[in-house]
Amino acid sequence: MTRTRRSELGAALALAGVLIGVAVVVVLIEGSAGPSSAEPRLPPSPRSALAPRNVPLGPAPLAFWAPVRERVSARVSPTRSQSAGQVPRRTPEGTTNLVLVLGGAKRVGDRLWVEVRFPGAPDDARGWVPRSAVGGYTPVRTRLVVDRERLTATLERGRRRVFRARVGIGTASTPTPAGHFYVRNQLSRYRSPFYGPLAFGTSARSPGLSDWPAGGFVGIHGTNRPDLIPGRVSHGCIRMANADIVRLARLMPIGTLLTVR
Amino acid sequence: MDPKLTLEEVDRDGAIAEALDKLTGGTRADFLRKAVVGGAATGAALASPALAQGRNTKKDIAILQFDLNLEYLQAAMYSEAERLRRLKPRTLEWARVVGANERGHVRAIRGLLGRDVVKSPKFNFRGVTEDDRVFTETATAFEDLTAALLKTQAAQVDSRNVLAALVSLHSVEARHAAWIRHIAGIVPAADAFDEPTSKARVVRLVDSTNFVTSRPRTKGRRRPKYTG
Repeated sequence: MTRTRRSELGAALALAGVLIGVAVVVVLIEGSAGPSSAEPRLPPSPRSALAPRNVPLGPAPLAFWAPVRERVSARVSPTRSQSAGQVPRRTPEGTTNLVLVLGGAKRVGDRLWVEVRFPGAPDDARGWVPRSAVGGYTPVRTRLVVDRERLTATLERGRRRVFRARVGIGTASTPTPAGHFYVRNQLSRYRSPFYGPLAFGTSARSPGLSDWPAGGFVGIHGTNRPDLIPGRVSHGCIRMANADIVRLARLMPIGTLLTVR
Repeated sequence: MDPKLTLEEVDRDGAIAEALDKLTGGTRADFLRKAVVGGAATGAALASPALAQGRNTKKDIAILQFDLNLEYLQAAMYSEAERLRRLKPRTLEWARVVGANERGHVRAIRGLLGRDVVKSPKFNFRGVTEDDRVFTETATAFEDLTAALLKTQAAQVDSRNVLAALVSLHSVEARHAAWIRHIAGIVPAADAFDEPTSKARVVRLVDSTNFVTSRPRTKGRRRPKYTG
């Protein structure tokens, strides 16, 4: 009796196991097949053509430059009409004159004023001009340092030195002025081997040469006398080998700060 | 509180007019108009990588170029505000966060356009980035405008992938709009539904700001007169 019951129970368990196995197989097959072809299917979600990510602003610029939109008399203060100097719209070379923006604008009445640096004599001058007299701001990230002792010019972008060359500077009687200036323009394709293939105009003026044509501004340029470089040979300009000035032009944007020490 | 604020209304009540129009006017900004024409023209460039892969149609390229110009404008304005640091702290924080978003949009749309990318114009924000009140009002108008424009464009694009891109931009621009409206003291969501806006209206309104300007002439060919 016991043996019969045991065999019946075993058969029942075996049958149940087979049925469960069949059921699992059926479920798995149906699950993998998905809905039948007769049922409507939703299209896949469209993939965005963009994958926007935030872009950080990057390091703070050294300064801002702005083009001069109209000739203006700079004031010593927005509230005082005393003149700090004239700021022309054009450079002597015919390009747009630039100023360095020193700080935030100040509203006086219904007018916005901004403090700027502009070419003065002998060092750069500073004064306040109406915000409307200058154009859009461009950040400055580069600085050219001219070392009058070592006769070198070094271009820095942030903390990196990206260019270095030996230079010729002013003689003892016509020295290259020390101080803080900026690059105002770039000239090329002119017919003057003396200046090499490229020349940059700066806001610096050569002391003692105020009667020089076009105001005696200091340039950074090539040369037809590379044998004089490095040396104290110029009227105040910064000369370098033609290959160096071409290389510098690829790295140095307009508005670059110029420090002569 | 004014529940709605558009650039037209800003102009009408003198908020932008005071900051912009009283300042010296510049070249009329027609960069968006150029973008429309340029978009149609360059859309014919079937050799573009995107088109070669069958992703972007001429119409989609024109739409993306138009959007890229708007993103350039916003990214430049907010970046300048962040650099100058003349705004109140919470407006400056908005400019910092939203500026990073907009620069991301610029990078992404440029990548999508490939060879059909258009160059950024030069901007002169005329002191708007240095005046908290005027900045807030101008930014509110731009964000509202962009969100409304993207709604219009979503119905016009051919590609589902570009549509998905516009929708993903739209929701972010709408958040920008709500956030700056909150800062400006305007109800962020005053109505149950937003109205789309036309491309022509966007061109007209952006034009009126005179933010787009010509590039200064900093290179010349005259013989130097430096001291030598």
